[in-house]
Amino acid sequence: MKRTEPPWSARQRRRLWSALALALLCGLAYLWATPFIWMTVASFRPDSFGGLDMASLWPDTDFTLDNFVLAWESGDFPLWYANSLIFVTGTLAVQLVTISLAGYAFARLRFPFRNTLFYLFLLQLMLVPPVLIVPNLTTLVRLGLYDTLVGVMAPYFASAFGTFLMRQTFKTIPRELEDAAVIDGCSWWQVLWYVLLPLSRPGLVAFSIVSVVFHWNEFLWPLMVLNSPDKQVLTIGLVSFALGAEGASEWGLIAAGTLLVMLPLLVAFLAFQRQFVNSFVFSGMK
Amino acid sequence: MSLMHKYLSLAGAAAMSVAVATGAAAATKIEFMFPAPVQGKLSREMQQIVKEFNASQDEVEVVGVFTGSYDETKVKSQAAAEAGRPPAVVLMSANFVTELWMNDQIVPVADYMEAAGVDPQAFIQEFWPAVRPNATINGRLYAVPFQNSTPILYYNKDHFAAAGIDEAPETWAEWVEAAKALTLAEEERWGLMMPSNYDYLGWIIQSLTMANGGQFYNAEYPGEVYFDDPSTKGALKLWRDMAHDHKIVPTGVTDSKQVSTAFFSGKASMIVLSTGALSFVRENAPFDYGVAFIPRNVRNAVPIGGASLVSFKGLDAEQQAAAWTFIQHLTSKETLGRWSRFTGYFSPRMTVYEQPEMQEFTANNPDALRAVEQLRFAKPWQATYNTVAVRKAIEDQMQALLSDDKLSIEEAANEAQQDAEEIMRPYVERTSGRIM
Repeated sequence: MKRTEPPWSARQRRRLWSALALALLCGLAYLWATPFIWMTVASFRPDSFGGLDMASLWPDTDFTLDNFVLAWESGDFPLWYANSLIFVTGTLAVQLVTISLAGYAFARLRFPFRNTLFYLFLLQLMLVPPVLIVPNLTTLVRLGLYDTLVGVMAPYFASAFGTFLMRQTFKTIPRELEDAAVIDGCSWWQVLWYVLLPLSRPGLVAFSIVSVVFHWNEFLWPLMVLNSPDKQVLTIGLVSFALGAEGASEWGLIAAGTLLVMLPLLVAFLAFQRQFVNSFVFSGMK
Repeated sequence: MSLMHKYLSLAGAAAMSVAVATGAAAATKIEFMFPAPVQGKLSREMQQIVKEFNASQDEVEVVGVFTGSYDETKVKSQAAAEAGRPPAVVLMSANFVTELWMNDQIVPVADYMEAAGVDPQAFIQEFWPAVRPNATINGRLYAVPFQNSTPILYYNKDHFAAAGIDEAPETWAEWVEAAKALTLAEEERWGLMMPSNYDYLGWIIQSLTMANGGQFYNAEYPGEVYFDDPSTKGALKLWRDMAHDHKIVPTGVTDSKQVSTAFFSGKASMIVLSTGALSFVRENAPFDYGVAFIPRNVRNAVPIGGASLVSFKGLDAEQQAAAWTFIQHLTSKETLGRWSRFTGYFSPRMTVYEQPEMQEFTANNPDALRAVEQLRFAKPWQATYNTVAVRKAIEDQMQALLSDDKLSIEEAANEAQQDAEEIMRPYVERTSGRIM
């Protein structure tokens, strides 16, 4: 019996499939990138309404920086940048200390009810943040931290997610390394500082990136805590000039303002693209 | 105020307080929370008003706090009050006052007035009758209206001329006819566009229901709505048919921002938006536009919208006095007139329109008077137990009707009514046959 040749060779078929997969991925990437592309185009578009097709993703021939100038003048961006930076770095600095220590305790120290305590701690992750607004505000008022940047940071100082992440990271490090350090005369904090933490860098970087991105974009909680205009952070600042409740909206201005707000994150992302992606994979967060 | 001057006045105040030993501080500091009303630049104007007030006197120092949307303003002020830092003055969506009263969170502004020797009845007489009910509970004045609006019809005069229509439609029949003539499917132009996002949508449905002769909700008893009454069903049907049968309004959910953008770019010939957007339309419409009453089926009627000033419980006597001083300043004819001209909201205080600046302004911008003329037909805004959730019950059904052409009006209206009754049940039970 004569064998019929398949119309395509195996190699051709493989190529066809990978081309199809590539096309599909490009399509998906385009879909995800559309809001960002539109925002970028809109922020440089001269007239937000007029005869131009404002929904178009194609840049207009006219190019303007007016929207950025207007956005910059509409708000106190230097102040907002500074406050957001203080909020984000201050939170992270304290978090790194607390999650390292707590993670170490849960991973290595032996004390009664250790696991029960750990699971109780993890329960934090199950709570929806809005539920905590009133109790947390009450605590802040009592501590005299209402309407302060420290007050915005305070509830995040003890991060359940970070503690969990550090505990798991520490657990993957072989005990022998610590034992060697102890034999060399290290105290517990020296073990932590010289042995465990350097080996946990991926975990620390992953947590830092997740924390910074989350707090940089945070809106509701800072809105609840802060009152004074000179303490506002970027997200609230942006909304204060870009939000229109009764049907008005200046698209170019909003797009330009949003770009300004996300610019530092964007630059950081381009600079540390690899770490970013790794950290989200590592931490299992999106 | 110069720095030197400030130090001197501080020193003076300190000396005085030592001298008379009253212990009064230089200025009573109070917080004023306000949402973003129509567009961003209004928030800056509001901060400017606060700044000028602080500079104009030494007794009260107001911190202007921007608080996001109307809903977020409610959440923030209530949370702050529960946490022990009640805000002195809040610009609150006018239909939340009832609920704040039910929660026992606000003080009647009438108390402050009486303490300052002002007769609340006489004070509110200067305000349009239509804005009074949402600020008054059981005959007591709880809030002072500050920026108010009604839905209104904006139309593109160029499109009207091209379609051979001379007059703005006055009845629903004329409205549908006009929208049919104005719709150009091949140019993606809609005859009419109305916002159907949350909050706006409920307001528009109430407007259509009332124009259809209905009541929409019981203005006397906050535990009852009429979502499955014929008048409401007629309103739902009008919009649904315009979308699916006549194809003269978009299907699906249309955000209010899309509505204004479509109008400016000529993709919508008529739009329904708040009168509060009037200044925004005036500044951005690149063509000749007109403003007209919302068309009627049975009668002309529109709901009031906008926001009023309220004060939370838990302030000390000094802060209360300071709150009243500031409320008085905000609702003075000068401030209200300035705010109305800047924003497009109509001034809730009638006497503002007698002022020379306002008369000059309305002479130059006669469209600003259309909102005021429509006030004769204005009625209070839906305010019930758990207003937002009850409002969403009908909004969800209208959105479903706009998206799904198989859904029947009967089914949608019944569902909305059942959901709303379920939400209001606690209040109804509290008031039916049980002694409180």
